[in-house]
Amino acid sequence: MWYPIGFTVAANPSSAVVKLDEDGTATLLTGTVETGQGSLTILAQIVAQELGIATDDVNVVSADTDATPMDTGAIASRTTYVTGNAARLAAEKVKLMLFDVAAPLLGVKPNQLEAKDHKIVVKGFPQRNMHIGDVANFARTVTGEPPIGSASFNPATVALDPETGQGKPFGTYVYATQIAEVEVDDETGDVEVLRIVASHDCGTPINPMLVEGQVEGGISMGVGFALQEEILFNAQGVQINPNLTNYIMPTSLDMPEVEVDIVDNYDPSGPFGAKGVGEPTLVPTAACILNAIYNAVGVRITSLPATAEKVFAAIQAKRDAEPKQITA
Amino acid sequence: MDKKPKVAEKVSPAETVFQEPSILRDSTVIAPLVEYPIEVVVPKARQQTPAVGQRATRLDGRLHGLGQTGYIDDLKFQGMLFAKIKRAGVASARIKSIDTKEAEAMPGVMAVITGKDIPCNAFGPSLKDQPVLAHERVFHAGDGVAAVAAVTEQIALEACEKIKVDYEVFTPVLDPLESLKLETPGVHAPSANIYQKKFIKKGDIEKGFAASDHIVEGQFRTQMVEHVPLEPHATIAMWDANGRVTIYSTLGRITLGRADIASTLGIPISRIRIVATIVGGNFGGKNEITTEPVLALLSKKTGRPVKSTFTRPDEFIASTTRHPLIMDYKTGVTRDGRIQARKIRLVLDGGAYCSWSETTLSKACILSAGPYNIENLYAEAYVVYTNKTMTGAMRGFGAPQVCFAYESHMDDIATLLNMDPLDIRLVNAFNEGSISPTGQKLQSVVVKESLLRAAERFGWNGKGNTNGGAKLLPKENVNGNTVRV
Repeated sequence: MWYPIGFTVAANPSSAVVKLDEDGTATLLTGTVETGQGSLTILAQIVAQELGIATDDVNVVSADTDATPMDTGAIASRTTYVTGNAARLAAEKVKLMLFDVAAPLLGVKPNQLEAKDHKIVVKGFPQRNMHIGDVANFARTVTGEPPIGSASFNPATVALDPETGQGKPFGTYVYATQIAEVEVDDETGDVEVLRIVASHDCGTPINPMLVEGQVEGGISMGVGFALQEEILFNAQGVQINPNLTNYIMPTSLDMPEVEVDIVDNYDPSGPFGAKGVGEPTLVPTAACILNAIYNAVGVRITSLPATAEKVFAAIQAKRDAEPKQITA
Repeated sequence: MDKKPKVAEKVSPAETVFQEPSILRDSTVIAPLVEYPIEVVVPKARQQTPAVGQRATRLDGRLHGLGQTGYIDDLKFQGMLFAKIKRAGVASARIKSIDTKEAEAMPGVMAVITGKDIPCNAFGPSLKDQPVLAHERVFHAGDGVAAVAAVTEQIALEACEKIKVDYEVFTPVLDPLESLKLETPGVHAPSANIYQKKFIKKGDIEKGFAASDHIVEGQFRTQMVEHVPLEPHATIAMWDANGRVTIYSTLGRITLGRADIASTLGIPISRIRIVATIVGGNFGGKNEITTEPVLALLSKKTGRPVKSTFTRPDEFIASTTRHPLIMDYKTGVTRDGRIQARKIRLVLDGGAYCSWSETTLSKACILSAGPYNIENLYAEAYVVYTNKTMTGAMRGFGAPQVCFAYESHMDDIATLLNMDPLDIRLVNAFNEGSISPTGQKLQSVVVKESLLRAAERFGWNGKGNTNGGAKLLPKENVNGNTVRV
C-alpha cells in the first residue's frame, strides 16, 4: 500500500520554539497534542539529536494556545514529518547561536563546530570542546543572548486540477506490505488471524520501539475493521449497537502474532530522513486478511466486516454451486 | 429505542478500582498506590546520544502504568457543574417546539440552553453545515437539541428527560446509492445530496482496455466503524472576570478548535484559551469541536465552571465515524499481468454533515489506484449526505477502504491469470521516480523492497494462491484449512 504524509494540498504548518538552559537541557514548546502515540518523545529525540544531547534532557511542553506556538494537529500522520521538521529547524537555530558564542572561546570559526555528546566540539579535533551547558550559560550571562530559536515548516504542494486531478498533493508518501496467515473453520465460518508480518517504510525510524507500537496498534484496528466492527442502524436511522457489548471489537485474545520489519529508507525532506507511520499501519490489514480467507477456503468476501455468518454463507454457496458427485 | 434508558448511578473512580477482589477493602491489606520517596531510574535509552534511533521509553508510560495520568475527567474546580446534552433520537425531523420549563424548574439545574442560544450556529472544517445544537432541523439521531448544566450529572440527566421536544418526523435517507440519485429528496435541501466530487484523469482508458487481454471487474463495500477511544470526549469550560474563557478539552486540533469556538460564539480568538491534556486516544475522532461552545455558553450563563464527558453511547451516536465506501473497480491487464487501464468509481456515505469528508474524498480518490504504474486511469469519487451519524476523520481517511478494494481486486486478477499474488504486484509496483496518478514524481519509493522483505520474513512459498484448495500443514488435523498466503 501507499499512504501520504500531511494534508492534501492545503497548508498544514507547524511551528516550534526551542530554548536551552544553563545546564545543557532544552525545552521544546509545541502546539501538538499527544494522543497516546508517543509524539512528544519523538519530538524530544529530534531536538536532542540536533543539539547533541540525550532524549531525557529535552522537556516538551505542549498543547496550550496561550503558551505554545501554533500546530495544525496530530492528524494525517504528519507530526514526525512536519512538526518534527519545525522542531529540528528551531533546535538548529539554537545550535547556531551556541556556535557563534563558542567559536571565539575555542579559537575557531563557527562553521568548524558540531554538537555531540553534550558538548560543542571542533570538527576533526574533538579534544577541543566545551560542555553545552557552559556555552549556554556564557551566552546568557556574558554575551547577553539566551539561546532560543523558533521555526515553522509546511510541506510544499501543488494544487490539483479540478478536472484531471493532476498536481502534487503531498510532500512525501510511505509504503508497506502486510502478509497474513489465517485459519478458517469451514463449518462455522469463524476466522482466526494467526500471524501477520508487516514490512513498513517510515523513512528513518526515530524510535523503532514506537514504530512497532504503531504497527501493532494499527493491526489491531485493522483486524476489527476486517472481521468484527460495524455500526448498525435500524430502518428509522437510529443506531442499534452504540455500546461495547454489541459493537464487537478486538481484544488481546483476537490479536495475531505480529512481526514488524522496518524497511531501510531515508527521505531527504524529513527530519533526519524520517517520514511517518501513524495511519499506514492499519491500511493494508483488512486486505491481507480477506485475501488469506480467499486462499484458505476459496470464497471472495467483497464487503466488510467478514463476519462468521458472511464467510459461512459464502462457503455454503460455493459448495452448492459445485457439481455434485454421486458415488456408485 | 422507544424505552428511555435507565439512568445509572454515577460511580466514582475510586469505587471502580476497589470493586473486587473484596480483600482490597481490608485497610490492613491495602498497599499504598505510590511509595514515597519515589525512586525513578531513568532508562538507559533515554540517556544515550545520538538520540535518533534509540528505543527511548515515553515519559507518560510510567504515569499511565501507575494510574497517575491526569485526564480531563480527573480535573475538579470549585463550584463545578456537570452538563448533559439531550440527543434527538430521530434521524430526520423538524423541531416544532422545545419546552424546557419543567427542566429549568428542577432543583439543582442551573441553566438550560437550546440551538437558539448559539450566536452563530454553524461550523465545519470545509462546509459550514454542522450546527452546535440543532437549529430547526435534525439531520441524524445523535444531533444535540438542548443542553443542561446541573450540580450533579444525575440531575443533569434527569433534567434532559424532562425536556419535551415536539418533532415533525420525516423519512430518513439511509442508503448512499439512493442518495446519489437525483430524484431522492435532498437531506440538506435545497443543497444537493452529492456535496463534493473529485476526478482523476490520466491517459486514455478506452485505449488501455482495448490493449488488454483480460478485463476484471469487482465491487467492494466497507462499513461504518467508530474510533472507540479509551477516553471519551471530555471538556471543561470556565470564564474569568476579564471575559476570557479557558477550555480544557480532549480536542486534537486546538488552533482550529479555537477558531471554531470564536466564530460560533462571536468572540475574538484572543479571548479564548484552549488547553489540551494528555488524550486517551484520538484516531481522528477528536479533531473538531463537539461540546466546547455549549459548555462555554452554559458556563457564561451560570458563572461557574462546567464539565461534560461523553458516555460510551454518546461516542457512537454523536461523534464522527468512518465513511462507508462503495467501490467499483474495472481493470484491464495483459497476459503477463501488466495493468493497462483502470476505471474506478467511489461513493462515500457522507453522513449528516460534511465534517472531514472533503479530505477523505480527496485522499480516497488519489490513493484508489494503488501503488502501481498505470498509464491510463479514470477515477471519479462522490460523497453524499445521508441521515446517518456524521462521518469524519478516522485513521486512514479513506485509505483502508480503497486498499481493501484494490488489493482484493489484485488477488482476483492474479487468480484469473494463474499468477503468484506476489509476482503480479512486483510487475506493476512503483519504482523510484515513478509517476503517481496525479502526475507527481515520487521519491524514496520502497514498495518492492517492502514486498520482498515481508515475503522473506513470512516464508512466502510462491504461487500461494491455489484457487481455494486447502494445504493442510503436517501437524494440523482439524477441519479448519490453514494456508499460507
